[in-house]
Amino acid sequence: MLKINNLVSGYGSVQILNGSNMEVKNQSIVALLGGNGTGKSTILKACSGIIRAWKGTISFDGEEIQNLAPHKIVEKGLVQVTQGKDVFPAMTVLENLRLGGFVLKSNIDLKNNLEKVFNYFPRLNERKNQLAATLSGGELQMLCIGRGLMSNPKMIMLDEPSAALAPQIVMDIFKNINKIRKDGLTVLVVEQNVRMALLLADYGYVIKDGAINVEGDSKKLMYDESVKDSYLGGGGTTVNV
Amino acid sequence: MFKKLRLTSKIENALMLTFTLIFLIFISISPDMNLESLKGVLIIGITVGIIYGLVAVGISLIYTGLDVVNFSHGEFFMLGAFTGLTVYNFLIDGEIIYKIFPEAYGWVGYVIGLFLAFVTMGLFGILIERIFLRPLTKKGGGYTVAGMGIIICGFGLSVILQNVAYVIWDPTAHPFHADLGLPITLGGVTLPMTYLWMLVTGFIVAGALYFFLNKTKMGLGVRAVAYSKVVSNLVGINVPLYISIIFGIACALAGIAGTLVGPTYQVVIYMGYIILLKAFAAAVVGGFGSLPGAIIGGFTVGLFETACAFFISGSHKDAYAFLLMIVVLLIKPTGFFGVQVKMKA
Repeated sequence: MLKINNLVSGYGSVQILNGSNMEVKNQSIVALLGGNGTGKSTILKACSGIIRAWKGTISFDGEEIQNLAPHKIVEKGLVQVTQGKDVFPAMTVLENLRLGGFVLKSNIDLKNNLEKVFNYFPRLNERKNQLAATLSGGELQMLCIGRGLMSNPKMIMLDEPSAALAPQIVMDIFKNINKIRKDGLTVLVVEQNVRMALLLADYGYVIKDGAINVEGDSKKLMYDESVKDSYLGGGGTTVNV
Repeated sequence: MFKKLRLTSKIENALMLTFTLIFLIFISISPDMNLESLKGVLIIGITVGIIYGLVAVGISLIYTGLDVVNFSHGEFFMLGAFTGLTVYNFLIDGEIIYKIFPEAYGWVGYVIGLFLAFVTMGLFGILIERIFLRPLTKKGGGYTVAGMGIIICGFGLSVILQNVAYVIWDPTAHPFHADLGLPITLGGVTLPMTYLWMLVTGFIVAGALYFFLNKTKMGLGVRAVAYSKVVSNLVGINVPLYISIIFGIACALAGIAGTLVGPTYQVVIYMGYIILLKAFAAAVVGGFGSLPGAIIGGFTVGLFETACAFFISGSHKDAYAFLLMIVVLLIKPTGFFGVQVKMKA
């Protein structure tokens, strides 16, 4: 579905990614793990076209997308879901969701997708006429995922869906992500919560210093010592991840 | 420690109320005070206010959408007035309108002038944004060094546009004799038709803008881009296109305001300067960057200015708007509806 080949990119003149390779297979959940400042979010931003790839290719559904404008990438069906704080706080929940379906041409699609999102997250239906600023952290994350689903994507990329949320709510959201995958979507999830992410995913990549350091089946990665090393810069065996 | 130094909103509101009361007492002891003059001041103030409001909304739109304070906005007002004047003169004095509508009156030409000023300034604004501002904003607008450059370029653009108008229309003042009919009497106040047109058209345009922003898909996109360009990108909005649309709408509003003001005063190439400053005062009073704030600020400035000019002294009319702005900034630095800071990612 998504194939990243030797990707080099960064911000301004600062290079972050030094030739990352990744592949996300159709209808799978892939976890991209790594500590702070290793380039996880940079990969997502390059995939969604917010920053340009300096070198290398990103192909989605068999087409190269690294030179497309961000809205064209959304039209192709690759949507990045940001952290919950990136909603439009001065708009209602419904307006936020409508914006998610901005690329849809017909109103019938919009209505169907709205129903689908309310099916996943009934809480949003209860609060659809409230301003997004009044939602709780968990609801904001649901709103962000729901907004991502509104445009009929083939694949969604989640940027730390568990950030700053209570474990109970994280469980709930991860269950929903699994449900979304069962309905035929491909999911790439960037996480710092390694254990939760590997429980959810089929396959995992660990990024270190802008390149993929370790990869493998999530069951295998869970007991891999080098994953711990990647997180703690080596030697930190006392912390159980 | 800083929290203690900041005025709480309760004190701000109390001070604001005190200022309003002092102002009201001051004008009510004026010898010119009676019910007739009060009604006149209210109507004229609201009329002038909606014009300030329309220009201020444009400035606020550009500020939220492009992160740029557009100092050339007054020139779009001036060019709009000239466009309306030229279209009106072409249709009426050239008697072209009578060939199409033999029964037509002056207002038909004026309506076409208003419409064309709106459309032409909108398209012209988009052109200016694409050619001059786009390469600059690409380097990073807002609070960067390049953003400062854009602000200076706004001054430059203002001078250039004035000189373009100089070449086309001469620096002399052009009277705009819009034949709109006899003055009418509204609740005991005799009002020239030009003021009535300003009032009615101003409210229609403001209402249409409200409808556009809140009820249409494109308006939803405009609001999204104004809040955050990155998130707008991620939901699939064509952000560069919408930035052009924002600039175009802002310039179109200034253009139609220019044609509305034209017949009341006169059309001259220097008219953009003072309206720009008044609209800035209105935007600041209402809260910079807030669209309802800009309209409310426009009314406040218009009413305050008209009341002071009538009850205190008409010869310092232009100073009152800035007096109000300074008072509001001292008491309530965010304006009526403003936010503390614009959050940037």
